[in-house]
Amino acid sequence: MPPSFSPVDFAIPAFILLILIEMVVARRRDPTRYEARDTLTSLLLGTGSTVASVLTGGIIFGLALWLYEHRLFDMGWAWWAWALCFVLDDLAYYWAHRTGHRVRWFWAAHVNHHSSQHYNLSTALRQTWTGFFALSFIFRIPLALIGFHPAMIIFCGALNLIYQFWIHTEAIGRLPAWFEAVMNTPSHHRVHHAVNPRYLDRNYAGVFIIWDRMLGTFVREEDSDPVRYGIVKQLGSFNILWAAFHEWIGIARDLWAAPWRYKLGYLWREPGWTHDGSRLTSGMIRARWRDAERSADQLSES
Amino acid sequence: MMDWQIEALKLAGSLLAVFAVAWLVSKMRLGGEARIRDAAHAIQLAEDAEVGFGGVEVGLDRAGYAALVRNAAGRQMLIRAHGVQFAAREVDTGFSGRLDKEYLTLTAPERTFGSVTLRLGKDAGLWASRMRDVTRSA
Repeated sequence: MPPSFSPVDFAIPAFILLILIEMVVARRRDPTRYEARDTLTSLLLGTGSTVASVLTGGIIFGLALWLYEHRLFDMGWAWWAWALCFVLDDLAYYWAHRTGHRVRWFWAAHVNHHSSQHYNLSTALRQTWTGFFALSFIFRIPLALIGFHPAMIIFCGALNLIYQFWIHTEAIGRLPAWFEAVMNTPSHHRVHHAVNPRYLDRNYAGVFIIWDRMLGTFVREEDSDPVRYGIVKQLGSFNILWAAFHEWIGIARDLWAAPWRYKLGYLWREPGWTHDGSRLTSGMIRARWRDAERSADQLSES
Repeated sequence: MMDWQIEALKLAGSLLAVFAVAWLVSKMRLGGEARIRDAAHAIQLAEDAEVGFGGVEVGLDRAGYAALVRNAAGRQMLIRAHGVQFAAREVDTGFSGRLDKEYLTLTAPERTFGSVTLRLGKDAGLWASRMRDVTRSA
């Protein structure tokens, strides 16, 4: 039978408790891990995101039900169907997330999750308000067409979301090698939130880091290159509306200003792409950094 | 209770928790204020903001709150504290500046980035004229 409760609702008290514990740890180890205005922005973005989900969740569920009516197989409710749904949903999440970083239209909805220069458990709750508008759900609902019941998909998606909460922390260093090999961890996800050229646009995984290892997007956290968090052009503001909508506004301005034949590029090309090369994509930033590293190496050898 | 009433109650509870946590962060004296230590630090921050920027000269605010970094090509980067972190913007034609004795105030075209006043001492005039050069080059 379809489950009738949302695991996220039950997890929220635990989220708050863990944030409080992390704050105590931060006070002892490094008080700069938290910043009141940043935390407020993150948590309000999270609250707004839940409101957006309540308003739009029914439509997504309805769409998924429609797909389910035209399903190719009937996966049923056996234990293995749950496990398979969880794994496939995580793979779908990987692609949704990767596209969310590589296509500016989807990035506009996802960027606010990355716009904090802090990395703590409150950052995990810094979620999108515009995911529905961006149609980000299109990556995950095809599972219904395969034959997984929409309620099962939503339940697995909620578990995925809950898993990802605890990895948004600097309080945990590295975990045992076997765990780091298979699962997404605080270390792997710190890399994902980094703006260091070495780490940009890497480690897209939700629960299983194996997707990044298999698809060539995995990078290990290096002690020699401490992570700096945020986005390439840091917001420099705690304004919640700016955090939620700044990339959409940027897209609108670019669409207005660009010559006709380049306009679509500002929607589907990677963030940082411009028709005149006046900004840098993550690939360009990495290439510059590699050049600089090579030059420094040659200098030290001579 | 109706569904919308339950959702409204959840929202009210969440907002209460959000403000309580943010208040606690400030009550526990977490956070602080970032300061730019010296010219080398400012150059590193400009490099963090743009790989290969290659800062060669720094106008550092006396309190370390902000800095202007110039590279060999004459481009300038404004860096300012943002909570316990830093944010940077290249000084371009959209910026406006106001010189008042040893203070130089720069206003970014991006309203949310705001204005930054640097106390640069006797160098304020030099940086102001460099800024005018950037504006004129449009």
